[in-house]
Amino acid sequence: MAVYLDCNATTPVEPSVAALAARFLEKDFGNPASPIHDHGLFARAAVEHARAQVAQVVAARPDEVIFTSGATEANNLALLGLAEAARREGRCHVITTAVEHKAVLEPCEELQRLGFELTVLPVAADGRFDPKQLAAALRPDTALVSTMQVNNETGVSQPLAETAEILSGHGAWWHVDAAQGFGKELAPLQNPRIDLIAVSGHKIHGPKGIGALVARKRDGFLPPLRPLMFGGGQEQGLRPGTLPTPLIAGFGEAAKLALRDHEQRREACRTFRAEVLRVFADLGARRNGDERHTLPHVLNVSLPGIPSDRAIHALKGTIALSSTSACTSHTRTPSHVLAAMGIPPELAECSLRLSWCHLTPAVDWNRVTEILRRLRP
Amino acid sequence: MNALFQDLETATLEQFNERELPQWLADPLLEVARNPEKYGDREYLVEMLLAQVREYDVYADTGCCKWAYDHEDLKRTLGWLKEGE
Repeated sequence: MAVYLDCNATTPVEPSVAALAARFLEKDFGNPASPIHDHGLFARAAVEHARAQVAQVVAARPDEVIFTSGATEANNLALLGLAEAARREGRCHVITTAVEHKAVLEPCEELQRLGFELTVLPVAADGRFDPKQLAAALRPDTALVSTMQVNNETGVSQPLAETAEILSGHGAWWHVDAAQGFGKELAPLQNPRIDLIAVSGHKIHGPKGIGALVARKRDGFLPPLRPLMFGGGQEQGLRPGTLPTPLIAGFGEAAKLALRDHEQRREACRTFRAEVLRVFADLGARRNGDERHTLPHVLNVSLPGIPSDRAIHALKGTIALSSTSACTSHTRTPSHVLAAMGIPPELAECSLRLSWCHLTPAVDWNRVTEILRRLRP
Repeated sequence: MNALFQDLETATLEQFNERELPQWLADPLLEVARNPEKYGDREYLVEMLLAQVREYDVYADTGCCKWAYDHEDLKRTLGWLKEGE
C-alpha cells in the first residue's frame, strides 16, 4: 500500500478517537436530548465534555461551540446566518479573499445573489493577502470579513494577527475558516477579535461528519446568527437535529490530543518536511507558497514538464498525494488558488500537494525520485 | 496516566480548600484520584470528572443557562465511574 501523503484531504483517525466513537455507537447509545434517564444523561455529559475540549483549543467558552456536520456547514452557517442581521443594520458589504475554499466562496456568491456587495482581496505570489488591502477595502457598511487561517492547497498561513489589529476599531463580524489550521497552529485562533471560527473533526484525526462553528460572544451575546435549518432547539437553536454523540465524543478526543501533543506533532512534521524539501529541491521543483509562512506538514510544488495527473498516477504504488483540494481534485478545473498567486497555467498543471502528519510512516524517497525522473520530457 | 490522577487530586483539593466543594463529594473524588491502579481502565470518565471538578460551581444551576457543573453532575459522573467496579 502506498504511503498516505494527503493529510490535507483527511487524516487517519487516532486509535483512542476510534475507540471512544465505538463506545458511543455500541454501548452508550443514548440521545443527549433525552436527559430523562441515565442513557441520555451520559450522552449529554459526553457532548458537553467534548464541547469544552473543542473550545479549549481556541480559548473560547464551551457555550460558544455549535456542533455542525463539518467546516463546510459551519462556514455556511457563519456567512449566510448573519445575512438577515446585516441587512437589518443596513450593512451590505462583505470582504473575502481569492484563495478561500469553495465552502466560503460559494456562500459569498450566494450573499451576492441576495444583494450584498462582495470584495475579493487578491493574494501575492507568497499566497497571502495583504492586510493593507483589507484596511483599504473596509467600509462603514462592511458587515462581514471572511479570511481563512491556513490555505488548503499551499499550507500558507494568512496574516490573522495583522487582520485583528485592522479590525479592532471596526464593527464588522470576522469569520475565519480554520478547517486546515485548527489544532495545528494554535495562537492565531485564540485571538479574541475573531467572532466566528469554522473547524472540522476529520482534519485533526477525528471522525468525518463532525465539525463546529465557534461563535465568540461580544458583550455577553453570540453574533446574531439565524439557523439555516429548522426542526429542533439543539445547539442553542442554531443547528437542529439529533446530536451524533459518537462523532462529537471522537471530535472532543481529537481536539484534546491536538492540544496536548501539539509540539511533538509539529516536530515530527518538521523532521519529515526536511526530507521532502531535500528530495524535491534535487528534482528542481518550484515551490508554490512562501516557506516562511507554510505549516510544517504541507508542501505544494510544481515539477515543470510533468503534468500532475501523470505524476500522481505513476506514484500511486509508492505515495498517495494530490494536486489540489480534495473537493475539486476529481475535476479538471485548474486551481483557483495557484491562479490567484499568479502561477502560470503550465506550472499550475504540474503542481503536487504533499501533506503528512505525525502518524506518517517512512517513504521510499529514492523510489519516488526514480519514478519522477523517468517522467521528465 | 498518573498525571491525570494527580491533576484530579490537585483540582479537588483546590475546590475543597479554596471554594465550595463539599466534603461529601471531595472524599469520593480523592478516593478516585489516589487509586490510579483501580480506575486506570476508565480514563475517559476520570478525564470527564477532572473537567467537571475544575468547572465546579455550587450555583451552576441557578442562572438562566447552565455552563458550569454542580454537585449533581459530579455525583452522577462518580456513579458512572463506580459502575465499572
